[in-house]
Amino acid sequence: MSVPATAKSIAPVPSGLSATRDARAPWLLAILFAVAAAASGILLTGVSVWFLGAVALAGLGPAALTFNFHTPAAFVRLFALSKTACKYGERIVGHRAALLDQVRRRAGLFAAMAFAPATRAVGWQLGNQDRLSDYLDDVEDVDYARLRVTMPVIVLLAGIAVMIVATAWLSAPALVPIAVLLLIIITMLRRAIPRIAQAWMAVRISQRSAGRYLGAALAAVVPLKAERSFAKVSGLAFAHFKNVAAEQWAQRRKFAMLDMAAGLLGPLAALGVLAAAWHAGARGNALLAPAFLAFSWLAFGETTVGVARIVLARIRERSARNGLADWNAGTSVAAASPFSSTALRQLVLMNVPRRDPDGRGLGAALNLTFDSGLPTALIGASGAGKTTLLKQIAGWIGDDNDGRFTGDGVVLLTARRRAMSHLCLHDAAILADTIRENLFAPGASDETCWAALTAVELENRVAAAGGLEAWIEQDMLSLGEAQRLNLARAILSDAPLVLLDEPVEHLDSEQAPRILSRVLSRLNERIVIYSSHTQFDAIRGAQVAL
Amino acid sequence: MLLSNEPNAAARCESHGREPSSSAVGTPSDASGALELARAIGADGLRATLSWQIARTLLRLGFAAGLAIFAGRLITAGTFSGPAFLGAIAGLVLSSGAGLFADLAAARAETRVGNGLRVALQGALAKMSSARIRSRAAGQLIAGLQRHPERLASLAIGHAAAKSMLAAGPLLAAMAICLVSWEAALALLLAIPIMIIFFALLGGAVRSKAATQEHAFGRLAAQFSDRIRTLPTILANHALAREHGKIERRMTAYADSTMGVLGVAFLNAGVIDFFSALAIAVLAVFLGLGHLGLVHMPGFAGLELWQSMFILVIAADFFTPFRRFAEQYHIKAEGEAAANELDWYFGDAAAASNVTGHDGAKPFVSNDVNRFDAAELPPTGLIAISGPSGAGKSTLLRMLAGIEAPSSGVAALPRLTTGGCVWMSTEIYVPAGKLSDAIAWNCASVGRSALRQAAESVGLIDETLLPGGLDARIAEGGANLSGGQRVRIGIARILISDRVVFADEPTAKLDPTTAALVRRVLTEVAARRLVIVATHDDRLIEVADRHHSLTLPKQRQTAIAA
Repeated sequence: MSVPATAKSIAPVPSGLSATRDARAPWLLAILFAVAAAASGILLTGVSVWFLGAVALAGLGPAALTFNFHTPAAFVRLFALSKTACKYGERIVGHRAALLDQVRRRAGLFAAMAFAPATRAVGWQLGNQDRLSDYLDDVEDVDYARLRVTMPVIVLLAGIAVMIVATAWLSAPALVPIAVLLLIIITMLRRAIPRIAQAWMAVRISQRSAGRYLGAALAAVVPLKAERSFAKVSGLAFAHFKNVAAEQWAQRRKFAMLDMAAGLLGPLAALGVLAAAWHAGARGNALLAPAFLAFSWLAFGETTVGVARIVLARIRERSARNGLADWNAGTSVAAASPFSSTALRQLVLMNVPRRDPDGRGLGAALNLTFDSGLPTALIGASGAGKTTLLKQIAGWIGDDNDGRFTGDGVVLLTARRRAMSHLCLHDAAILADTIRENLFAPGASDETCWAALTAVELENRVAAAGGLEAWIEQDMLSLGEAQRLNLARAILSDAPLVLLDEPVEHLDSEQAPRILSRVLSRLNERIVIYSSHTQFDAIRGAQVAL
Repeated sequence: MLLSNEPNAAARCESHGREPSSSAVGTPSDASGALELARAIGADGLRATLSWQIARTLLRLGFAAGLAIFAGRLITAGTFSGPAFLGAIAGLVLSSGAGLFADLAAARAETRVGNGLRVALQGALAKMSSARIRSRAAGQLIAGLQRHPERLASLAIGHAAAKSMLAAGPLLAAMAICLVSWEAALALLLAIPIMIIFFALLGGAVRSKAATQEHAFGRLAAQFSDRIRTLPTILANHALAREHGKIERRMTAYADSTMGVLGVAFLNAGVIDFFSALAIAVLAVFLGLGHLGLVHMPGFAGLELWQSMFILVIAADFFTPFRRFAEQYHIKAEGEAAANELDWYFGDAAAASNVTGHDGAKPFVSNDVNRFDAAELPPTGLIAISGPSGAGKSTLLRMLAGIEAPSSGVAALPRLTTGGCVWMSTEIYVPAGKLSDAIAWNCASVGRSALRQAAESVGLIDETLLPGGLDARIAEGGANLSGGQRVRIGIARILISDRVVFADEPTAKLDPTTAALVRRVLTEVAARRLVIVATHDDRLIEVADRHHSLTLPKQRQTAIAA
């Protein structure tokens, strides 16, 4: 068994300045590529038009034969190639940077989630696919924010700034229609963003409500179908889905308006620049520079079309950050010092409050003594607080002053109990990994692993799957097989305190006592406490009725 | 649009790759499939969207013509052409308006398709057997219903429109250029077959790269979400540090292999960029040489400036539909995955009866069932069905209630069709609200005094455990109820109704007091009504009027022993 991690070794903070600099360098390069690609595209159109105008004017006169067309033609080809190459570079470098960020962020997020109190509390919400997908949507919205928001916004703002400066220099009066349109777009954005953000919140809320109602209907599908009421209850969920669709439709109307306004900017500016230059008296060759600028605006217009998408990505990022922050709202518990493998002979509970899963009190406080070598069964009906008590003993829930736990005369605070206990959750999950990794015993030999698997009657199943190195996933195992694998983990643990929650759930009535007695005999030297709602006559040990 | 969305889709595999869709059933070619349904609902909307998109393209060509004529005359003739200027403005405004209507039409059609799909899914769920519904994890169904209809709608409308514009857009642009120079139009059109050859070559390379990646790294695609899902287990096994290091390494490995695929996949977008940039460059140079009189190629020489500007502006637009379509790549992938998933809902009855998932129906074989001639069941009395787990007690109960396809001669109780039933188990539906609403939920027109009486007789009026009496607050899904309280609500419902009672393991996992209460109420009620229970509670079997014991079929006995 590996030593429990200290918070420090995996804390989600960057490990120094060099790490931050490393993270930024690819982004700077990506932005450089993006700006160069946009500039090449704009220059390609601008130079091409200037070239056409220049040769057309030259072609009218005797200058045609002396016109140096090689230089502009070379530039046109250069911009065409650099546009393609920079665009490719932007995509590659941008995505590499985003993926690097993603790995770093997600590893940090994983560590942060591990310290969130909700992780050890009752029920693991993210064990459900719907809540997990919801969470992953948030993670992804933040993951790609730089790629979808920061980078396009920088290119857009840089482009607008350069274009406006060039316009002010070459054809200042054209700034009037441009400024008016920009003002309109900015006003639209200022009005639309809060509303779209609200609509997005409403979508998420309705989406979750629909999920909850649907979850309730699906959990009770047999009673509801039998009573012919399933349609009534699932109808509540679908009503919320309808709200989601209505909100999204409203949102998309706003986006369509925004995109239309943004799409007008480039072409309108192009016409404005030409008209203003004409009215300022420019004629013939003097119009070539304004034409260059005008068609640059036209090419720049391509960039502005994605504004609505950027706005949505930004709104989703903000809402996702809030959603993720909720997970880490609690205070993290201080890290425990690693436990020494010395055996624990006796655990005494004094004045430990009994609670139901929601934290409400359940009768008088408990005073119990557990001895090593004498497994203790906590027997009680569902809702009697068995799981809660096991989690209290394991230091997963409750404060340090919630009752008094002493081991061999030494007071054990929650962090210490966490470190020294193996908690075998009744809804333990199977990791998508090899069977060996799923046993959580990196130091154990093959023989030890196989012995543990044999004890829980999984040896044939594992051999058929391809041995210890075979890859397994949750849905490859039945509930009973998953539970038995979970018991094998307990056998391989070397924690002095082993807590088993409903160890024989999902096992059939003949197999249950057989496997349980084997598990208990292998944990002979340890303090073992397990919960069950039925008693097994064949199992020796102490009993506590809850 | 700065970035094609295609890469995001590939990167997205990291989180969503092999999750819900890995267990997809149904084939895309299914005749009664979700995609066909989506297309049928969206047919009108798609036509409207396409019409507006074509209008936008035409008007945009008008704007390009206006701008080219205006700019060309301004420079060469030195005249301010008012009609061209106004024409350009009109073309711009009208094409923007048409674009707006195209966006709105697409959004409206996608909303309609999403809503229509959900109505169909709601109907399919209502008709589906409980066993089939339970063969899939609820969370997976919920996550799918939250996302799949919209994704499929995007495939049926947005993607389909982009695909059609792939043909219409370049064709319209080429026709417009034809008005000026058919040779230039031909040159642009010639680029298409060359591009298609590149796409075919790259497509093959991308597919083989992606297949290699899936083979080598596919398992690592969803490691992050897997470790988040299993986080409590990791903590319980003190494996945080190890798993943290592992996911970091695996995510890095997967990111590296993803970049390998993206490097080739981006070439696809690169081909479009290359040809559109090259077209402008080549046309500009040739047209320029034509103006100078240095080349005498027909279609490129002797043009007015406005004509060559017109060709240049439209050449840029010529490739836009390709770019738009490439951006839809991830919409296609997501939409097809969604269609596959949703096909499960519209699967036929044959598939429905094949369900043998661990949460689904157990194979039900027993000689005893012949004694269950539903028509012979007495009008009143307590009938107990017992047997080891796996013998099919619950399945028999569901068959009698008429919610599972009958087999082995067991038919649903005939009188259920008129009177209905009450189903009691620990998983009954408890709506949020007051306790009185939770009890009377499916039993309209029960007076408050009758409710109070029922609640009191089952011990639900308990100020310490559930304060507030009949007005006690019940959280959503009955989350603040213990198992015992939930069962008591079920018992109270039996008391206030007059229907046939089905009870599935009504005393399992209960404390002795509640279990005794359940037994008492069931026997009391059985004096006036038919009560059928599936149970292994000996004391409940003792008080039953009739007892049927199911045995494990031979096959299944060996299966469990193995």
